[in-house]
Amino acid sequence: MIRRPRVPAPEDFTAPSHSPLVTARLGLWLGVAFGLCFGTGLLSHYIQHPPGWFTWPTRPVNLYRVTQGVHVLSGVAAIPLLLAKLWSVYPRLFVRPPLRQPIRLSAHALERISVLVLVCAAFFELVTGLFNVAQSYPWGFFFPTAHYAVAWLVVGAMLLHVAVKLPVARAALSTPLRRRRAVPAATPGPDDRDSSERRAFLRTSAGVAGIAVLATAGVTVPWLRRVSPLAWRSASGPQGVPINRTAAAARIAVPADWRLEIVWPGGRDSLSLADLAALPQRTAELPIACVEGWSASAHWTGVPVVALLRRAGAPTGRPVRVTSLETDGLYAASTLPAAHARDPLTLLALRINGEQLSPDHGYPCRLIAPSRPGVLQTKWVARLEVLR
Amino acid sequence: MRTVRLLLFVVGAAATAYGGWLLLPQLGTALPWLIGGPVLHDVLVAPLVGLVGLALGRLVTNRLRLAWIAAGLTASATLLLIAVPLLWRPPSAPPNPGLPDRDYPLGLAVGLAVLWAAIVIVLVVATIVDRRVAHRRADRR
Repeated sequence: MIRRPRVPAPEDFTAPSHSPLVTARLGLWLGVAFGLCFGTGLLSHYIQHPPGWFTWPTRPVNLYRVTQGVHVLSGVAAIPLLLAKLWSVYPRLFVRPPLRQPIRLSAHALERISVLVLVCAAFFELVTGLFNVAQSYPWGFFFPTAHYAVAWLVVGAMLLHVAVKLPVARAALSTPLRRRRAVPAATPGPDDRDSSERRAFLRTSAGVAGIAVLATAGVTVPWLRRVSPLAWRSASGPQGVPINRTAAAARIAVPADWRLEIVWPGGRDSLSLADLAALPQRTAELPIACVEGWSASAHWTGVPVVALLRRAGAPTGRPVRVTSLETDGLYAASTLPAAHARDPLTLLALRINGEQLSPDHGYPCRLIAPSRPGVLQTKWVARLEVLR
Repeated sequence: MRTVRLLLFVVGAAATAYGGWLLLPQLGTALPWLIGGPVLHDVLVAPLVGLVGLALGRLVTNRLRLAWIAAGLTASATLLLIAVPLLWRPPSAPPNPGLPDRDYPLGLAVGLAVLWAAIVIVLVVATIVDRRVAHRRADRR
């Protein structure tokens, strides 16, 4: 039998994995993964660029570590789920447009456009996120703003897609995958075979998503560090903690007469490193929780920021601007919200895991506050400014 | 349901428009990365998956074996995809002590070996169990 090659039609795809029963379930799972990703990503965005109404708690100290871990791991889980979902709906790509019916044609075109936006944006988010966690940037745009903007595209297009597909999806979700029969058939028919293959496809998709998470979760889950072969970081590094930006990369030269400046409306004070070391020290176990999802805990020793302000006679309970010796760079300064500034666990750390901070960890002193993204834990601190 | 759909439609359109507006300044550089995913998938990945599936269906006739091999291939492909940024690193970021801090090709190879070893064990056990069941049935007759 010789068939002429032609563009396939949806009816040519007969595998049970293309059934709406499968598609709807995969869609639901993918919706959960993307929903978690979007929610935690939005939180991370607001923590870094807080609008006036936003507050973020300082307890539990691992809160940001958990939300950002969920962000990257739900993204990883979404990779196989997205591919499975696209495979399930692949026949729909070949639906012929109803060319002779203008109204149906425009509805068809709108649906196609919204799906195209969704798929473009979904791939973009997963691919750029995956490259970002490996700190690899083979593109020309600025990752954080592009990733944030396209996240809104994903969520918007996903809601549009649900609005269009809700009747089909509801019907499919309320149909059980396993056919119940009053009388069990003596020999399994094609229906049972289809049903079992549908379940196998879903089981495989969920299992592969689990394997993908297991292969990477070691970046943030301590007991998986040795298990995950593709974790982009482990908890090791100089003095027990990895480093994102070295002193050389930030072009830091600590002046011999370095002093910490404390400035507030109506006053100023300054302390040498010896002065800081002579103050009562506090040791706390706090995580460095990076926006890239990796995290590692360390024992930090230093002076609580609130104690430092109180001793200088500066007002407490207000936001504090922390400025680095670094002259350029996006993360040369950060603002501690009032809640973090008044928390006694927010330290100006001088030591890490019992040793003096190395230059790469922020010598002479660095900020370490509970439940905050690593990029805001300013290193090589030069100045604290109490804001109004 | 009508109200829910209408609400989803309005909120979805607003969020999409907002995202588009946010992306506008970087649209030029982001566009190839937006279009690239679906084009690669629809033209290359999906047909390839289909062909592999067809070939596998011809080669492996036992359904249980087919399901497990397909699952193994899916998992392997996913792990390879996730490993791409770790294996292919254009030197753009400044040096980061503790970043590529493990042997990723080795880790990936070990991970895949463990995965396929597990699948082989499952299939061997399933075959043995099947044979025993078949034997017992034959004995009863």
